[in-house]
Amino acid sequence: MVETRRHFQEQLDELESIILRMGVASHDLFRRALDVVATGNEADADAVIAGDDEVDAFYMEIERGIVVVFATQGPVASDLRFLATLLHINLHLERVADMGVNIAKIAKAAHGLPPNPRVLRTLQDMGVIALDMLNAAMDSFARRDVALARSLPEMDDPLDNLNRGMLAEVLMESDGRPMLEWGVHMHVVSRQIERVGDHAVDIGEQVAYLVTGVFQEFTDASHPEVEESTRLGDVLRFDGRPLGADQGEP
Amino acid sequence: MAASFEIANLSAWYGNRLAIEDMSLSVEPNQVTALIGPSGCGKSTLVRCLNRLHELIPGARAQGKVVLDGENIYDAGVDPVSVRRAVGMVFQRPNPFPTMSIFDNTIAGFKLNGRKPKAELLEIVQRALTAAGLWDEVKDRLDAPATGLSGGQQQRLCIARAIAVQPEILLMDEPCSALDPVATLRIEDLIMELRERYTIVLVTHNMQQAARVADRTAFLLAELAGDPGRLIEIGPTKKIFTQPEDKRTEGYITGRFG
Repeated sequence: MVETRRHFQEQLDELESIILRMGVASHDLFRRALDVVATGNEADADAVIAGDDEVDAFYMEIERGIVVVFATQGPVASDLRFLATLLHINLHLERVADMGVNIAKIAKAAHGLPPNPRVLRTLQDMGVIALDMLNAAMDSFARRDVALARSLPEMDDPLDNLNRGMLAEVLMESDGRPMLEWGVHMHVVSRQIERVGDHAVDIGEQVAYLVTGVFQEFTDASHPEVEESTRLGDVLRFDGRPLGADQGEP
Repeated sequence: MAASFEIANLSAWYGNRLAIEDMSLSVEPNQVTALIGPSGCGKSTLVRCLNRLHELIPGARAQGKVVLDGENIYDAGVDPVSVRRAVGMVFQRPNPFPTMSIFDNTIAGFKLNGRKPKAELLEIVQRALTAAGLWDEVKDRLDAPATGLSGGQQQRLCIARAIAVQPEILLMDEPCSALDPVATLRIEDLIMELRERYTIVLVTHNMQQAARVADRTAFLLAELAGDPGRLIEIGPTKKIFTQPEDKRTEGYITGRFG
């Protein structure tokens, strides 16, 4: 057998190397955004916002590269799955960087308001999980490691739980109106971090598809009980006490 | 419903050389089944066994079963001529009879099979040329020589000639390899239309052609030089081109070996 299509393989390899670098850049931008939440440093926040251009440049380069390969090489089978996967991962990583930018902007808006240390700790815990998930997702892609990809939903569970508890935490733990205002901002940050976890899970799904040829969602976001507990009524009653505190009492 | 083939343990030789070995596959009715694989993998030999053309080559023989409508075409007592009539064939290069008109080419199969009244022949010609997508282009010059047609038109004429005798199955051995891209796409459209009435087996070197027109695709391969061609994998075309089971199929369709 003769090895053929060297140029085509080089194009695919080049796209893979770009997206791995993009993964590092998105991870880095998101990590710096989380730091800004803790430090409140405005210059760092602006640097994060500006840093999105780098990720966007990767995004455009990959998008264009994929379209050229589709147009010129007629990819099929694993090559086709690789390129389809790349299209998705590209978009997920670009969104992760956008989440970082959103967080940096929110941190700027919340600057000067009194932070709530407990909420801040929870956000930092969530950030660590999300960053780990992002690493695991991109590692699973680089190594074509389906087992690692499949572990992502489990990593995501604590992140979802912390996000779900965030509204109650903000509402109940805030000491005065300015801190509540800060907390409302942080509730949005929490949501952004939680979304990064979802993007990591989706990248894992793409990796499983790339390797196995079968596309399956790891989790079903439209499943009713997922969203149910995020409704305000479930976490807080009108008197401000958590639901269930008086259950079983006459 | 058009006819189908059940091919079981089919092997074929040229003299002492085994060309295809132990192939078993089905050809489903009203579907296009594409045969793909590198040169020498036995694609053409396989299709030529399906209408008993293979054995016309001196020293060539075939063994195994090819069941058409419940009857093994290799059974003793089966007339190969009637098989070739039931299983039409279109070849790589358009091969209209050069001295015959468009009209005579279309009904060439009937000339060999006894005479018919002129009016009936005209009806047959119109039906076959219409089905082959050529009628509108040639209806005013049916008596003109077929060689005056373009390559793509000549190939459609050969398709008309093959379907004029109302075969049950149509074999096409690289029918577009001598045609330009536009003529190729016209033939491909025609194949999609013909599928509604006929069962089609299409040999092609053009993998995108298989991907575009075939319902099912079979990959054949002679692994080492001198090996006979073997069936590696057959399945729905969508699956073969997105998620082939066999590494060798993957290697071939992604162009990683050749």
